[in-house]
Amino acid sequence: MTTLMPQLNSDLGELADRVRESLVQVVVGSAGSGSGVVLAADGLVVTNAHVVGGRKDARSARDLKVILPSGQVRSARLLAKDENLDVAALRIEADEGILPDLNPIELGDSKALRVGQWVMAMGNPWGVAGVAAAGIVIGVGPDLPEAPGAGREWIVVDLALRPGHSGGPLVDHRGHLIGMSTMMAGLEVGMAVPAHVISGFVASVRSGDADAEPGDSTLV
Amino acid sequence: MPTVLPDFSNALADAVSAAADSLVRVEGRDRLPATGIVWDAEGLIVTAHHVLEKDENINVSFQDGETVAAELLGRDPATDLALLRTPERSSNVPSWAEPKGLRVGHLALALGRPGKNVRATLGIVSALGAAWRTPAGGSVDRYVQTDTVMYPGFSGGPLVDASGQFVGLNSSSLVRGVSITVPVLTLRRVLDDLRDHGSVRRAYLGVGSQPTRLPEAVAKELGQETGLLLVSVEKDSAAEQGGLFLGDTLVSLGGTPVRHMDDLFSGLGGDRIGKSTAVRILRGGQLMELTVSPVSHP
Repeated sequence: MTTLMPQLNSDLGELADRVRESLVQVVVGSAGSGSGVVLAADGLVVTNAHVVGGRKDARSARDLKVILPSGQVRSARLLAKDENLDVAALRIEADEGILPDLNPIELGDSKALRVGQWVMAMGNPWGVAGVAAAGIVIGVGPDLPEAPGAGREWIVVDLALRPGHSGGPLVDHRGHLIGMSTMMAGLEVGMAVPAHVISGFVASVRSGDADAEPGDSTLV
Repeated sequence: MPTVLPDFSNALADAVSAAADSLVRVEGRDRLPATGIVWDAEGLIVTAHHVLEKDENINVSFQDGETVAAELLGRDPATDLALLRTPERSSNVPSWAEPKGLRVGHLALALGRPGKNVRATLGIVSALGAAWRTPAGGSVDRYVQTDTVMYPGFSGGPLVDASGQFVGLNSSSLVRGVSITVPVLTLRRVLDDLRDHGSVRRAYLGVGSQPTRLPEAVAKELGQETGLLLVSVEKDSAAEQGGLFLGDTLVSLGGTPVRHMDDLFSGLGGDRIGKSTAVRILRGGQLMELTVSPVSHP
């Protein structure tokens, strides 16, 4: 018997456990939930803009909660969102001045992705926490005339995303963040915003007035 | 630390890169382009029949971005294959695997080039079987089904095995909702006909028939329980000229038993056209030998 499959399984299990430490559930009011990923130990979390609601729902964004891998529920604040990129940045609020222990995910190089390489999406589909789905990269970049949202930069992946996956991390075989699960293109194809788009957004949030009221800081 | 996952991931991406130069984009319909595979070093390209919704103004684009006009040499709707001719160029002719090495459970990549770049999905071989006939009547040498996702524009692209070899051509239209691969053996057979004759040649007898049970004694003598009862014989057809009558029961063709319609169908390949062929029939309770010369299927 070959030892390849047990080794592969052990790699996969280890990787899923590691990525799950950076995954959070984002809950907006009583309107359901999505996923998010911890980017920095200061409480910075990114998710999809559509998870925290459209501009008209800005009020509900004040009732934003994040459920940590430990099960702890913490309040969060919307820092900024970009409806076009479908990315939003949140900050987990300190409780009496103390932030919870967080495990920020490592950033990967989404510009160096290769078609065919292995990827894993982690999220909270249908509200089930920490669910993993694996597949490969179908295609990357803006040249995807067959995909919805044509003209934007995407990572198209051969794995099944479901409601609640939105905002969750897409990682490579090292567990590094390469994208954010954002939408389905059919039952078995997922679309993710590339990590370099997320970093660009986060950089602009950090350099801007990140303390502005939600709504004011919406980037368009 | 991961031990095999990085190698696994890199091997998949390597297989895609290695195959990319043999894959072309085929624009033969108004909606999304589909995929074709470089068939030989002389510029022949194989693609799926159903992605060509026109016979002219077909364009083919290569890995380096060059787009050329392609001439349609022929198509076979029954096996969903079509052959295109493009100007000779130095694209890589892929290495084809004989599907006998394939096992259910093996990993396989489906590749396509509906846009500028190659795309890939991953799955496993779900089912393998003997020769089968497509719903459209095409004869395919082996049944190969995978659970790979046929992403839009993937028809006409290859199934690639774990060692990077091409197994066959994928079609999402041969059987609805199932990813079917037409094996290389069938590609060779059909594409030779399309290249030399513009269509898949079939021999034609000019009979209508239905399976019928043979009398017990005859069945015992022949070692077969059924034959084909001729329910019509066309005027001036090869069958009539060979002396076949309405009501005869055909029991063999060219020395091969004819038990079902499929036996007659596979016995009338293009190689029978114009060839004297022995047929055995049951007439009035007696077995008789006759000779027919099948013509080309109209």
